[in-house]
Amino acid sequence: MSRLRPVLGPALAGIFLVIVSHPRVARTIVGWLGEAPRRALDPAYLSALALNHLLLAGSGLILVASAGVGLGVVATRERGARLRGGIDTVAAAAQAVPPVVVVALALPILGFGGPPTLLALACYGIMPVLRGTVGALEGVPREAREAATAMGMTRPQILSRVELPLAAPAIIETLRTALVLAVATAAVGALAGAATLGTPIVAGLQNQNLVPMLQGAAATAALAFLCDAAMLGLAALTRR
Amino acid sequence: MAENLSFLAPMRILRGTDPGRVAAILAAIAVIGALYGLPLLRLAANRLVVGDPVFAGESFGAEIHAAAGLTVAATLIFGGSRSEIGGAGAVTLLLSAFALLTLGLGSTAADLLSGEPPAARASLASGAWLAFACLAVALAIAVGRASRPWLGALAAGGAVLILVVAGRSGALDGLSLAVELRARREAVLTAILQHGLLSGGALLLGALGAGLLAAWRRAQGLVEILVGGIQVVPAVALLGVLVTLASGALHAWPQLRGLGLSALGPVPALIGIAAYLLLPLWRGVTLALRAPDAATLDAATALGLRPRQILAQVRLPLGAPVLIGALRVAAVQSIGLATLGALVGAGGLGQIVFEGMAQFAPDLILLGAIPVIALSLAVESGLARAEAAARRWSA
Repeated sequence: MSRLRPVLGPALAGIFLVIVSHPRVARTIVGWLGEAPRRALDPAYLSALALNHLLLAGSGLILVASAGVGLGVVATRERGARLRGGIDTVAAAAQAVPPVVVVALALPILGFGGPPTLLALACYGIMPVLRGTVGALEGVPREAREAATAMGMTRPQILSRVELPLAAPAIIETLRTALVLAVATAAVGALAGAATLGTPIVAGLQNQNLVPMLQGAAATAALAFLCDAAMLGLAALTRR
Repeated sequence: MAENLSFLAPMRILRGTDPGRVAAILAAIAVIGALYGLPLLRLAANRLVVGDPVFAGESFGAEIHAAAGLTVAATLIFGGSRSEIGGAGAVTLLLSAFALLTLGLGSTAADLLSGEPPAARASLASGAWLAFACLAVALAIAVGRASRPWLGALAAGGAVLILVVAGRSGALDGLSLAVELRARREAVLTAILQHGLLSGGALLLGALGAGLLAAWRRAQGLVEILVGGIQVVPAVALLGVLVTLASGALHAWPQLRGLGLSALGPVPALIGIAAYLLLPLWRGVTLALRAPDAATLDAATALGLRPRQILAQVRLPLGAPVLIGALRVAAVQSIGLATLGALVGAGGLGQIVFEGMAQFAPDLILLGAIPVIALSLAVESGLARAEAAARRWSA
C-alpha cells in the first residue's frame, strides 16, 4: 500500500475541489467573500462538461502519446541517431508558441470547437513526450541490452521485452505531465467554443458572475488533480 | 553536357552522412513546393470572409521565381562546400530570397487590389506562410553550419530590417496584415509594452518568491509539494480562483480600492503567472546552490573565506549556468502565460488575439500572435546564448 502514498496528495486535493465545485458549497464560499451569490450551475451540467473535457483531453493524450512515444522509439534506434540533435532545437522552438496562440491561429482554419484544441495539444505536447521517451529509453542500462542480445533476442524482441518494460515508469511519468497539460489546454479550448469546464470560467469572467466561475475553476483543477493521481497510481503499479 | 549532369549534384549530397544537408535539401524542396503548389495570397471582398486563392503561376511577377531560384542556389552552395564560407554564402542568398518573396507578395497584393472596392483584402495564404517557415528552417541550418554565433543574431536582425524598410516604403501596404497594423498601430505597440511589463513583472515576482522559498531551509519538502501542486492547476482555473479571491479581498478591505486595485486587472494576472514560475525558478535556485561539491566548499572554508564571500565567489559563479537555464525556462513560460492575462483584463497581446477571435478576423489574431511568438523566440535564444556563455565561463 505504501507504494500508493504519492497518489494520496493529489487525490485528496481533487476530492476537496470537487466538493468546492458543488453548487451549494460554491454559493456559500462566494457569500463569505461578500458577493451576492447568483444562480449556480447544477451538478448534471457540470458533470456533462467534465465528461466532455475528459474526452477531449484523453483523445489529445492518445494523439500525443502515440506520436511522441513512437518517434522517441525511432530516434533511439541506431538509424535514427541523427534525428536526436534536432529534437532539442525543435522542442525549444515549439515551446515558444503557447497553446492559447495555437488555438487562436487554428480557429479561422479549423473552426469552432474541439479541433483547434486538439491541434494545440499536439503542437505543445508531442515534443516533451518525445524528449521524455528518448531520455527514458537512453536510461535503460547497456548491460540489460547486451544480455538480451547474448540470449539471442531479435531487435524487436529487445525493444518489447527489455527496453520498453524497463523504461515504462519514466515514460508514464512523462505522460503524466502530458495529461495535466492536456487538461489545461482543453480548458483554454473554451475560448474557441469547445464545451469544457473552461466554459463557465470564461463566461463568468465576462459577465462578472463569480459562482459559476468558481465552480468551473474548482472543477477544472479537480479534474487535473484526479488525472494526476490516476497517472501516479499507474506509475506506482508499473514500478516493481 | 555539364548542364545536363547538374541535376545529379543533390543526389551526391543526399548520399552524404550529414543530416544538416538532408534537412537543408528537404527545406528547399518544401519552399519550392509551397511557392508553386499552394496559394500564396487570398483575395477577399472584406476582412472577415475567406478569399479566393491566388497561385504563383497566375499573377505574380519575377520576384517569386527569383526567390525560388535563390533558394535552390543556396542549397547547392550549402551542399557543395562543407566550409563555413558556404554556410555564410547560403545565409546571404536565403536572406535575399526572403526579401524578394516579401516584396513580390506586397506588390502582387497591391496589383490585385487596384480596381477593387476599398474593403477588399489580400491576405497571405498557406503557401506564403509555409515558404516563410521553411526559409526560416533553412536559414537556421545554414547559420548553424557557419558556426559563427553572431551570424544568427545578424540574420534575424537582417530579416527584421528588410520587413521594416519594406513596410516603411509602402511596398507591403497591399497586404491585409499591414492594413490591420496601420489601423491599430498604437494599440499593438501598447499591447507589446504591456505584455513585456506583465511577463517581466511576473518573472521578478516569481524570482523573489522562489528565493524566499529556497531560503526557508527547514520546509523544503513542503515547498516542493506546494510548488509542484500549482503546476497541476490549469492556468484558466487559477486565474478564475484569483479573481474570486481578489473580489473577496476588496469586499473585506474596501480601502484597497483606493490603492487602485480591482478584482480584474494586472494584479491577479501577475500573481497567477508568478505562481507557475515558482517551480522552475525554485528548482534552479536549489540546484545552483548545490552546484559546487563539498570538496570545493571545504577548500573555500579552509582558505578563510566567509560564508558571504563563498556565496559571491564560489557558489554564484558555479551555479550561474543552472540559474540562467532556469530563468530561460521561466521567461518563455511567462511570455506565454501573459497571453492569458487578457482574460482577466490585464491587457497585453492576448487582448488583440482575443479580439481577433471574437471578430473571427484571422489577420487581427496574427497581429497579436506574431509578436508573442517573436518575443518568446528572442528571449529563448538570447538566454540560451547567455547560458552557454556562463557555462564556458564557469568551466
